[in-house]
Amino acid sequence: MATEPEAQEAAELMARYCRGDAAAFHRLYAMLAARILAYLTGLLGDKAAAEDALQLTFLKLHEARSSYVLGANPIPWLYTIAHRTGLDEVRKRKRSRVRLSKDGDVPAEPAAHITGTAAEGHPDPAEPAEPAAAGALAALAQLPENQRQALILTKVHGRSIADAAMITGSTPGAIKQRAHRAYVTLRQLLGRKEVA
Amino acid sequence: MSTKDFDDRVLGEATGVGALPPPPSPDLLRAVGGMKPVRTRRRFAALAVVAVAGLVGPAIVLVRGPYRRDLHGLPIAWLCAAAALWGSAAALSLTAALVPRRGDVLPAPSRASRVSAMAMTALGLFALLATVDVPGLSMLPAERGWTLFDSCLHCIGTVGKVAVVFLAVGLAILARLVPVGGARVGMALGAAGGAVGGLLLVFICPFAQTAHVVGGHVGGLVLASIAGALLLPALARMRPASTAVIVALFAALLLAVG
Repeated sequence: MATEPEAQEAAELMARYCRGDAAAFHRLYAMLAARILAYLTGLLGDKAAAEDALQLTFLKLHEARSSYVLGANPIPWLYTIAHRTGLDEVRKRKRSRVRLSKDGDVPAEPAAHITGTAAEGHPDPAEPAEPAAAGALAALAQLPENQRQALILTKVHGRSIADAAMITGSTPGAIKQRAHRAYVTLRQLLGRKEVA
Repeated sequence: MSTKDFDDRVLGEATGVGALPPPPSPDLLRAVGGMKPVRTRRRFAALAVVAVAGLVGPAIVLVRGPYRRDLHGLPIAWLCAAAALWGSAAALSLTAALVPRRGDVLPAPSRASRVSAMAMTALGLFALLATVDVPGLSMLPAERGWTLFDSCLHCIGTVGKVAVVFLAVGLAILARLVPVGGARVGMALGAAGGAVGGLLLVFICPFAQTAHVVGGHVGGLVLASIAGALLLPALARMRPASTAVIVALFAALLLAVG
């Protein structure tokens, strides 16, 4: 059984959702979508892609709801589905073709606002407003994928080592080691930047 | 390296912790709007299905015989220990592969691989250090060479036939259920099937030689766990229809071999 109050509430909502209660789905979405979005943003480094992956994650949850075990905490499960969705997106990006310029470079896409007009004059909502946050996002992007996942889950989302291991399909020992290495690397990257 | 640290909250800001998520997409709303109540999974249901399907074959073989010809001469304590060890390895590996911990939705991949690795190590050591024979009754193939290889191959085949049922039924259940850590869970599933095959061989295999038991019985178990570790992640990435086709082919192969 889920023990923490939040886990208990999520378990009750999930049970009602499985019984066909649409209101329970909406409450579950309101409760968990923000943190799943943040996890996916950290994983993908791109808010727009993370928003698409968020929708896909909840669609997958919907399709897989018969796999839910009544009374269990659905939060780590939802993170696991989000993790898989994020990894699929990363792999898709690696496979996707890009048009190269004559020099063999990837030409920069012209920035556009959501309205379809040029981005000049519009602040980009996907970009973190704070320079420190932008620096942190850039530093996160430099970390190896598995270290980034371990760091985000344990340090940013406060998941336990066991939960993080379950979500990523790894072992608790590996998660500890990856999170530590990621933290050391990030400290070097951000510390250097701050000192400079 | 700079000694200056950074604030953990910066990471939260960078990844947008606390940012408002978009509302559910029209596709999602449509799916939720048209949903019907579903029957949820029970913690031990998959275990029961795989165990029943996988144990039918070995049970029939045990009932029909024939048994190893030195069975009556073997020390009863050794026989009990061997059966308990192979049986526990199978039960623990299967539970780790299919039963989520209380409060979890999915089986824990790290626990599955840890349990099955420990089970395989224990069985390997038992085969290496505690294989017994009954002089005059047990068959002892040559220490090395073709005879030993042939006898090992025969037992690997027997372990494989038992394990393939566990793998086919287990993979069909797990393929859509385990989004990550499939290799570790598949390894435990294969180890469970292999251990049941090894348990059967305790009673029917006429060869009582360390090299044969390590190579044929434990080797078969290890091969089954490798097959599970390779197959489950591959199936989990496929579409449901492709998974069904592959599992059906796998079962047909089993029938053909049987």
